[in-house]
Amino acid sequence: MSQILIQGLLLSGLYALIAIGFTLIFSVGRVLNLAYGAYLMLGGYAYFWVVQTMHMPKLLGILVAIGVGVLAGLLKHRLIVKPLKSDPVAVEIATLILAVVIQAGVVLVFNDSAKIMHPIVNGVWRVGGATVTYNILTATIASWVILIGLYYFVRKTHVGRAISAVSMDVKGAAISGINPDRINMITWGLSGALGAIAGVFFASYTQLSPSMWVAPLIIAVAVVIVGGIGSIIGTLIVAHIIGFMEIISTTLVAAELRGVFTMLLIIVVLVMMPKGLFGRGEL
Amino acid sequence: MSTQITWKHLALWALFLGGMALLPMLVGKGTLRTIIFANYLAIFAMSWDVLSGRTGYISFGHPFLIGIGAYTTAILSYRFDVPVGISIPVAVIVTMAAGTLFFLPALRIKGTYFALVTLAFMELMYQLVQVIRPDLTGGTRGISGVQTLTRGAVNGYYLSLALMGVIAISLWAMMKTRLGTALSAIGMNEEAVEGSGLNTTKLKLFAFMVGAGVAGIGGAFYVHYLGSIAPRALFDINFLFTIIVAALIGGASTIIGPMAGAFFLTFLLEYLRPFLPGAERYFIYGSIALILYMYEPKGLYEILRKARERLTGANA
Amino acid sequence: MTRILTKGLCSAAMAGLLSAGAATAEVKVGFIGSLSSDTGRSTLRGAQIAIDELNANGGVMGGQQITLIEADTGEDVTEGIKAYEYLAETAEVDFIISGSIDDVSLGWLPRMQEYQIPTLDTWTSYIGIIDMVVEDPEGMAPYFMNIASDEALATLYINFGADVLKAKMGWDSVVILAEDTAFGQAITGLVTEALAPVAGIEVKDTIIYDIGTVDFAPIFSKAQATGADFIYQVSSVNSQVISSQYVKLQVPMAMTGVNVSALGMEYWEDTGGAGGGISTLSPIPSVGFKLDPASQAFVDTYQAKYDTRPVIPHFNGFNAYHGLKQAMAAADEAGGFKDAMAWSKAMEKQDLILEMDGKMWLRYGFWGADEVEEVTQRTYPHNARFDLTSPYEDAQPSMVVIQWTEDGDVGVVYPPEYATMEFSVPSWVK
Repeated sequence: MSQILIQGLLLSGLYALIAIGFTLIFSVGRVLNLAYGAYLMLGGYAYFWVVQTMHMPKLLGILVAIGVGVLAGLLKHRLIVKPLKSDPVAVEIATLILAVVIQAGVVLVFNDSAKIMHPIVNGVWRVGGATVTYNILTATIASWVILIGLYYFVRKTHVGRAISAVSMDVKGAAISGINPDRINMITWGLSGALGAIAGVFFASYTQLSPSMWVAPLIIAVAVVIVGGIGSIIGTLIVAHIIGFMEIISTTLVAAELRGVFTMLLIIVVLVMMPKGLFGRGEL
Repeated sequence: MSTQITWKHLALWALFLGGMALLPMLVGKGTLRTIIFANYLAIFAMSWDVLSGRTGYISFGHPFLIGIGAYTTAILSYRFDVPVGISIPVAVIVTMAAGTLFFLPALRIKGTYFALVTLAFMELMYQLVQVIRPDLTGGTRGISGVQTLTRGAVNGYYLSLALMGVIAISLWAMMKTRLGTALSAIGMNEEAVEGSGLNTTKLKLFAFMVGAGVAGIGGAFYVHYLGSIAPRALFDINFLFTIIVAALIGGASTIIGPMAGAFFLTFLLEYLRPFLPGAERYFIYGSIALILYMYEPKGLYEILRKARERLTGANA
Repeated sequence: MTRILTKGLCSAAMAGLLSAGAATAEVKVGFIGSLSSDTGRSTLRGAQIAIDELNANGGVMGGQQITLIEADTGEDVTEGIKAYEYLAETAEVDFIISGSIDDVSLGWLPRMQEYQIPTLDTWTSYIGIIDMVVEDPEGMAPYFMNIASDEALATLYINFGADVLKAKMGWDSVVILAEDTAFGQAITGLVTEALAPVAGIEVKDTIIYDIGTVDFAPIFSKAQATGADFIYQVSSVNSQVISSQYVKLQVPMAMTGVNVSALGMEYWEDTGGAGGGISTLSPIPSVGFKLDPASQAFVDTYQAKYDTRPVIPHFNGFNAYHGLKQAMAAADEAGGFKDAMAWSKAMEKQDLILEMDGKMWLRYGFWGADEVEEVTQRTYPHNARFDLTSPYEDAQPSMVVIQWTEDGDVGVVYPPEYATMEFSVPSWVK
């Protein structure tokens, strides 16, 4: 039992980290960024290149990954979202095409074969019948720190409050002197950075491969759908619902049905409660 | 745009299909094989367009429908020796039933949420095909040696051309009726259509059934052309990408648009082959698709229409 | 002079893919496979080196030069079908060599049956394809697979269980951890049926996992809870994930089985070293396998010619190198590739025995249509000849077991005749 609790908390922490950047864009821009998984992929590959190919320090690897993520986010906003005037369907389709292009680009540069990253933090900790790697523990702690930091950023800082205002009411925010375009740009950059960090942890836990963007995208989509246009707190709660559901189904039901349960949850929640469990709230 | 079917329209269709029918005398077998794939992609893109392009309910799970049609006839004919004359109609009916399943979420949600639920359908199907009864579906490896209806490039070409022609003309004629106009109106403003006293639920259900039916026909004939089926070939984001992009790059809400888009994409990928044999090909192919879409989200049809307007405008 | 000019014009026309090469003195070989994967590149480069050598020695079939045309599948099933059609009808090749993975090969096989182009598969080992040869010997006549089929691989692996896991390590029970794929199910079935009766190892539990699994910690906990002596792993898709998590989590149980990612020399680099202790069955010649002089010469040429990955060709690179030469020798005998039946008959007779230290080391030959293999009691027409019983005097074993050590070495641990090191458990396992 304690083992399910520990493993559930760790996996959920990772899932929350994966989903948060996606939630941010969905809340503020009301668009789904289907190339979100590509941030994770770019972040992971950037880190891999710096640390494992060039043998530079891990911290530099993380910084480069964040830089690549921010750049990808800003470029995406400038070159795709703005020209399409934030039309949700057009953005979804354009980002879907973009994801496929980035996938081909990664194959071109790094080859088809999957790569495994060193753990960012080495070692294991055996506790209550479960084995915990320091790596996922770090990912979970980082996830909590980032989520709490983001929560306070949105509540307490000027820019954060502006983001929150835009997410609730674009026109209202514009009237009160906020430049929605600038806020949007900041949000896209921020989302890119969050995605890239999540990518470093996700890849250090699983693998790097040109098709790795699909799995985290589905996790992020599941979290957003089940949670509704989420608040940060909502994202955290739903990440735990999905994380625990996976651990419980793997441990107690049948490991091969792991993905099936997640898909069924998405379909059922969407059909029964189109607005998600937590409706549409502020960020 | 005129809603009347005139002799001029029919003459244009006859000219187009007649010209296509003469192609085997002009081009090599390799090119014919490429056109066969373009024809099937055109069928899928038209089917997507009926369901999504017209009504505005964007489906990200279209391979789900195509896959149901393809798997049904493949399993019936390969595992149970059902003649294709029976298995294909059954597959189409099963696909239309699945289309109804697809329709249920559309009663409550639209836009982005609908797109996501259809994507979830596709992913669910991808996983289930491998888990449930792999003795029937062949699991991850799929089934090889499904009965093929034709042999040789020329026969396969004529079959696919006939299918595409019949489907295109039927859909085109349907869209010229009041029904078609009402469907397109849903895409523009669902509330207004409802306000004018039409039953939008029935209209949407009709569009979903037609879209699914066409997907089922296309999927069934496609698998009997390929001779093999595998989950990774069907329930795949790349396949979804090709169908949607074909419809949009050509021009949604038209008949000629998705066809043009399908031909453009298929030939683009095939003609890059001798120059860029490796992964560069997909990169360039995707980039061209992205740039085209960014340049004109309404597709080639709109680009040509604007160009024509500019020309005639200059003349006036 | 005029002749040279004509020849030049001809090949120019060929290059433009305009003419139907009936009268040209050139043999065209098509490659089908992924150009970006280590697997695909191994086959492509193996074939290229064989072609270079044949061309340098004056060509084949009375002085004809061989050209190679590449068709990329990107490991995609539909692209694979298009690639086969392209080779057959646009490039009009005489012979096709394939480095395709299972479902891609199965995708284009109906096309092979239609076109009847001599085709050699070097990577897929799916027994279902050999079953197709059994059922339809005529339609599948032009098809050959020069790697031992997966059933033969799994059968010999049971002996490893009896000889090493049971007899030497003293393990009595196992928990099977298999991926949820057709491959996983087939291998799991074979292993569960044979492990207890043949090797005397009890199967405590079988855990099937989804190939998209992110976190294996709960699965390993479940495996540990069964109290089995070791884990038997069956993993072909994303197998790096399960093995690297095994290493990172330092799961206190030995794990052996099938791990497709560990078959290449790049495994160590790709896992960043998180792969020590992993052992897997491997087709031959594997990494860490002692090479006969002919195969070693091939590797030397390979390394002089290519400086990108894979640094050493995977087993299918060797298969492509030797197999392409055999296909050309068969064509020499049958008067070309046009008569697929005649070529098929000549290919069946090809038999290359590579010796090391005066002993047969590798054999590139094929099973006859009526030859029944004595252990499995079935036929393997057009499949690479293998031997399932020690001391492997008839042919090489169908597989070897290789193991990666924690300091990045790799060697063969089974069968003893081919072993270069001892089977061991990772340091964190008691």
